[in-house]
Amino acid sequence: MKKLIAITTVFAILSGCELYEQDEYQEYYVVESYLIANGNLQQVRLSTTNPIDETYQFEDNAISGATVEIQRLNPDSSVAEEYSYQQQQPGIYTPVNNITVKATQLYRLQVTTQNGDEISATTYVPGNFETINELEPGYVYQGQQQVELTTTPSSYITDRQTYFIFTINALDTNPNNLTPFYADQVDDDETDVEEYYVNSSGIVNEGNFEQNPDGTITLRLPWLAVAFYGSNNIIVNAIDDNLYDFLRSHDTQSGGTTLSPGEIQNIRYNVNGGIGIFGSMASDTNGTFIARP
Amino acid sequence: MAVRGVKKLIAVLVIFLSAQFTYGQQSASVNGYISDAETGETLISANIALKDSRKGTSSNTSGYFSLTDIDPGTYTIVATYVGYQRYEQEISLEPGQSLRLDIKLDPEGFQLEEVVVESEREKEEQRNIGIAQMQTKLIKDLPSVLQSDVFRSLQLLPGVKAASDFSSGLYIRGGSPDQTLILLDRTTVYNPSHFFGFFSTFNPDAVKDVRLYKGGYPAKYGGRLGSVLTIFNKDGNRNEFEGSVSVGLLSSRASIEGPFKKGSYMLAVRRSTLEPALAILQNTTENVPDSFYFLDVNGKVNYDANENNKISLAFYAGTDNLEFPFATDAGIDLNYGNQTLSSTWTHIFSDKVFSNFTVTGSRYFNYPSINLASTPIDRSNNIYDFSLKGDIEYLPNDNHEISTGFWIGNLTLKLQDSFDGEETFSSRIQTQYGSWYIQDKWDITDQWIATPGLRIAGFSEGQYLRLEPRMALEYRPTDRIRLQGAYGRYNQFLTLISNEAFTGFDVWLTTNDGVPPAYGNQYVVGAKTIPWEGYGLDIELYYRSMNDLFELNPFISDQAGLPYEEIFRFGEGYAYGAELFFERQIGRLTGFAGYTFSVTRRKFPNFNDPINNQGTARYYPPKYDRIHDLNIVLQYDLSKRWSTTVTFNYATGQAYTKPLGRTTAFDVPTSGLSFDQLIVGRVNASRLPDYNRLDFSFSRKGTFFGMGEAEWQFQVINAYSRRNVWFYNYNLDENPAEREAIKLLPILPTISYTVDF
Repeated sequence: MKKLIAITTVFAILSGCELYEQDEYQEYYVVESYLIANGNLQQVRLSTTNPIDETYQFEDNAISGATVEIQRLNPDSSVAEEYSYQQQQPGIYTPVNNITVKATQLYRLQVTTQNGDEISATTYVPGNFETINELEPGYVYQGQQQVELTTTPSSYITDRQTYFIFTINALDTNPNNLTPFYADQVDDDETDVEEYYVNSSGIVNEGNFEQNPDGTITLRLPWLAVAFYGSNNIIVNAIDDNLYDFLRSHDTQSGGTTLSPGEIQNIRYNVNGGIGIFGSMASDTNGTFIARP
Repeated sequence: MAVRGVKKLIAVLVIFLSAQFTYGQQSASVNGYISDAETGETLISANIALKDSRKGTSSNTSGYFSLTDIDPGTYTIVATYVGYQRYEQEISLEPGQSLRLDIKLDPEGFQLEEVVVESEREKEEQRNIGIAQMQTKLIKDLPSVLQSDVFRSLQLLPGVKAASDFSSGLYIRGGSPDQTLILLDRTTVYNPSHFFGFFSTFNPDAVKDVRLYKGGYPAKYGGRLGSVLTIFNKDGNRNEFEGSVSVGLLSSRASIEGPFKKGSYMLAVRRSTLEPALAILQNTTENVPDSFYFLDVNGKVNYDANENNKISLAFYAGTDNLEFPFATDAGIDLNYGNQTLSSTWTHIFSDKVFSNFTVTGSRYFNYPSINLASTPIDRSNNIYDFSLKGDIEYLPNDNHEISTGFWIGNLTLKLQDSFDGEETFSSRIQTQYGSWYIQDKWDITDQWIATPGLRIAGFSEGQYLRLEPRMALEYRPTDRIRLQGAYGRYNQFLTLISNEAFTGFDVWLTTNDGVPPAYGNQYVVGAKTIPWEGYGLDIELYYRSMNDLFELNPFISDQAGLPYEEIFRFGEGYAYGAELFFERQIGRLTGFAGYTFSVTRRKFPNFNDPINNQGTARYYPPKYDRIHDLNIVLQYDLSKRWSTTVTFNYATGQAYTKPLGRTTAFDVPTSGLSFDQLIVGRVNASRLPDYNRLDFSFSRKGTFFGMGEAEWQFQVINAYSRRNVWFYNYNLDENPAEREAIKLLPILPTISYTVDF
């Protein structure tokens, strides 16, 4: 018998049989929703994945008729409050009431489809923080003075460092207002200029910055983040673990790290019964003007 | 009765005393250096034997040999080495005599007839288990991508794989390049690549000996899980001045060597000559570097103080430099390279004791500097490695060859990152390392050889001390068959952050508290046979385990603020396979064919876990896992002037991940973009199309206006221009997603001209 297994294995190998087979495509539920501290509850998207070789449209994959709810939880994970959602369009559910999201609170997204399938995810909203210094009314692009923000710390359910993302929302989005680097990106890569209306830095660890004696952190905005001259809103975001996992694993999937080209790994989803993102963050917004040099 | 008893006793005493007398009669020995008669270059692993006897040995890495415990008498000593004429000399040995005989071999002239090889132990190349040797002449003859290269030549051997046409990295028996220790003149080289991984830093003009221990390597070496590659540069012609100049499409080389009083020197320089091509491209194409070049210098000075003492000083310095403004208001400058310096004192204590002591220094530097819209992103990365090593070979008698030695050093890794002028990461690790080994090559009988060994290795960063037992066994049922087996335990205290496609940003990291060394066991069995004279047929089977593998976690985009152990991921792996090697070394048509069957797997947490059960990791094959790999190398001497070399490689496809599904996140608040996502099943569960490629080169020897020998070399890589696939890129901007095959090299002709004077 052992001999037979050995011979079969050798024969299988030599005839090119696969030693490590690929899975078949499986459809998963996809949820997407975000909580921003002190903001209103936002919509929830519910859909399914699509086979890679077929055209993907959200509308074609939308899930309708599901029961969607966001719950605010007590520290022991029992439910403190429930917020119902109603279907606005296929696959898009909006809160029935206007509810303000509280910082340093645990929330759960609970979805039950018409089939009875359950999808859930949990997030802890990072603590609020604020900028305590006054920004200049304007800064010269790539000039001597850079935009500096001194912020209070943001707390989290664990004592990990804060994970920041800086976003610059341009308010004067005329394509003639693009800074040279981004103007080049739009010309050469045929990237849509709309992609730079909200320009993001990627994840930046708190560990990059020096802590001041009073516990505040001073952050300097790199010129690279500025895509448009003119009025800009500079938003400092402190993200939760779900967004941290989602965004950094999405970065890796897009390539450029130590993984070999073509070696692709799933994104870290932190969703039960499906995939997607239920993330939260705390934000602080400051406005300023970036003048041409 | 009593008389008979006494007679018996006297007889026994006579026999006993005569035996003692015979035993006590002093045995003789012969020892010396073996070298090239023309250049004086010492020859490593040359075969020296006494004709019609079982006594034989091979020269060590200094070209020194010693045959001991020889009964006094007259013998014919025979010495052979590939590429040289057979040497025979009658010697007479008196009782107790230690004959110093420095052997000089004449290079083989051109011979069309087959060379007949005889004598029992003549083909005693040091074909120990797991070792492969690459002749430098073959490296220069092989058709190559733009210029000949040591690593790319090694990629043709069974068990050694290449990641792609663009990479010279060595993937040996399922291991990544950082699992191979690279030594140049006994000094560690940390990033042996030029042109971002396209070539190795080793100049074939300067190289004398290239030896690859693919697996099961002996106790003399340590510090890497997989393999050891030792490269020795030439000493320099001890007899006359000579040089060579070579001009090629990518780079040009020049070398000189010659004698000075009691010694020799060698200097070889190589520089890329891309400036004309860049200038043309800059006028016609966008996104061309302002400047790119690589340069390296190899040098050695030897001083033969006296018969028993030699001193040598060897150095290497190489650099790659790139200035590339790749977009408006954005550019990258990259400067990286290596410098090594070593000094060796070779001392012969007696015919039984030989030693080498070496002081080494190695530096790797890497300074990438990116500027995007006046936001500078800089890194300063330096490795300094200073060490002292000593090796002693002791031959107490004919049956034992004891080697022992030590290697102690200080390793400093400095890494500083800054972003927008602010220092974001600064780390300076200074660690001491040390090891000691002992090994005995024990000829148990004429047919059995055992080589037990032990290595003890310590690393101060994390206070790790590790024992590494080694064992090799060989049985020779006949002169033409060697059955071999080896076991070894290996530890590795360093890990490399690199990318298959680009080695310009390579960084090494060490163990520490919470980051233990990786370790593994290797089991190898093999048979080396000489089926007919001038042919070799080897087969080798191996199994390797890899534990506590530590590598930079690819899912951490920013390491700032994280404890050291949290920037890593820890995993395990294994590899097994079979290698078949068939070679022909005689006649006009020579060459080899190598076939490898191999399987390798890795497993890391939070990687390749089922999407609905994240946290349960599974084994997966790394991209470079090719199950079947066949290489054929043929060299044919068409005439005295013309010769051709052909290589053919066929390999089943590398592993890749075929995505199964897709979805999109539309509302990410920190971005104006949608986030397209691929849904995958098992990582790397699909296979790229098979790879095959035919290369050939023609070379014509002539003279350069009567002043020296010259050689034209015309080569074609990928003669039938098969567009092998490097990887697939899935473009999710298209709907449905489009798969684009990123291809490897097309047909590529090159030409070079070399003058030897």
